[in-house]
Amino acid sequence: MPGWDWGAFHRYLSNRFLLEGVWTTIWLSVVCMAIGLVLGFVAALMNMSRIPLLKGIAQFYIWLIRGTPLLVQLIIIYTGLPQVGIRLNVLQSALLGLSVNEGAYLSEIIRAGILSVHRGQFDAARALGMTYPTMMRVIIMPQAARVIIPPLGNNFNGLLKTTSITSVISMEELLRRSQMLIQFEFRVLEIFAVAALYYLALTTLWGLVQRRLEAHFGKSMVALAPRDAAPQEARAGGTRTVALQDKTARGALYEQDLR
Amino acid sequence: MTDQPILEIQDLHKYFGHLHVLKGVTLTVRRGEVIVIIGPSGSGKSTLLRCINHLEKIERGSIKVGGQLMGYREIGGRLVELRDAEVAERRRAVGMVFQQFNLFPHLTALENITVGPIHVLGKKADEAAVQALDLLNLVGLVEKADAYPAMLSGGQQQRVAIARALAMNPQVMLFDEPTSALDPEMITEVLDVMLNLSKQGMTMLVVTHEMGFARAAADRIIFMDDGRLIEEAPPDRFFSAPQYERTRLFLSRILH
Repeated sequence: MPGWDWGAFHRYLSNRFLLEGVWTTIWLSVVCMAIGLVLGFVAALMNMSRIPLLKGIAQFYIWLIRGTPLLVQLIIIYTGLPQVGIRLNVLQSALLGLSVNEGAYLSEIIRAGILSVHRGQFDAARALGMTYPTMMRVIIMPQAARVIIPPLGNNFNGLLKTTSITSVISMEELLRRSQMLIQFEFRVLEIFAVAALYYLALTTLWGLVQRRLEAHFGKSMVALAPRDAAPQEARAGGTRTVALQDKTARGALYEQDLR
Repeated sequence: MTDQPILEIQDLHKYFGHLHVLKGVTLTVRRGEVIVIIGPSGSGKSTLLRCINHLEKIERGSIKVGGQLMGYREIGGRLVELRDAEVAERRRAVGMVFQQFNLFPHLTALENITVGPIHVLGKKADEAAVQALDLLNLVGLVEKADAYPAMLSGGQQQRVAIARALAMNPQVMLFDEPTSALDPEMITEVLDVMLNLSKQGMTMLVVTHEMGFARAAADRIIFMDDGRLIEEAPPDRFFSAPQYERTRLFLSRILH
């Protein structure tokens, strides 16, 4: 019985075959996240529409996708649909399945973000004569982003790992490539350990990116405003009132954060 | 042309579900007039203002601003709601100031004022900024141009909100209880700005409980109750000799 082989482990760490799988996992995640974001945004807006048909379609989509396992969805798309004449190749099936699945979850996150924006913001934007698209782009989404970004990042972290499910329809991402390599090399533990390590590296790197994203979207928001504008305050007024105002401002911020 | 009607409301009805909120409101406002609307809470004052710039749909009657139907188009004697972009365009004629200010928290005071001119009127950013600084000067807040709303007091926020509405060059300004959310010491600074505005000939509809302002600025005071306009009169007559019992009762309550 062969024991743990450090040499093999180190070799697999820089194995080109596996690294290609890592790359597939990355771009598959990014592309599906991007398509999922578009789908999710559209579904969220439809779900909040006053038109019953649009609302109904969005709710059916979200209900159906969130109510069934991704694994089942992928198998139906890849092996079930050809029965009714819809033939998608592995890549098309994986992209479709993951994007549609991701979109359903993201739409609920986006909807919650939009709903978190105070009603009065919509009224004020409307009263200025903004059209719906302008209002969403300039007033609502920048405020919703602060609420949306953290769970969005969470979802992307999940997606990086969820792509492994597409291995069942033989999409050659990291897990599938690992399984394939094992069939030649028989080093099960070493190869899966390397695969796990790669997943860990991807999610860790993403964690760093996410932190920067959150900081960026927080910066233009209320949260960091006083720190940016504080020196100006000091120049503008007397020190006493400044101190007082700063305090009330921070109080308001605190309430904002609680909300 | 001070007697030219800028706002014409005909037999306006508004329902929230089964609740009949406005029960046939008819009102004509001439250019430059200042109308103060008072009445008990739930009498439909705010709803009336929100209907005027089509933040609320109406069920019956019509509202015209500058001779144009607000929010609707007439087709064969029936009113059909306009499309989003058309409603948005007509709303530009009407400025609105809210009880809760509703400044955009992610934008500075200056950006709050320029966002409409830039994204709705298509003005250039520097041009809009020059105008915004003028308006900030008008409301006495030039030094707060770069401050975010969270850093401003309630009174300051409301003054920025007034400047924001003015930046669109509206024909009518609607004020929905603009001082009700303010601490007492901040009410005057907002009322002063409004009083100034009325002196410059701005057409204004103001829902407020500030009777001092009503006395000083109003051409007409309207008492509203249960979705109807009960009584209207110039301030001196309104306060000294109200004709209706309901008006007298209401006045006795708020004036102690």
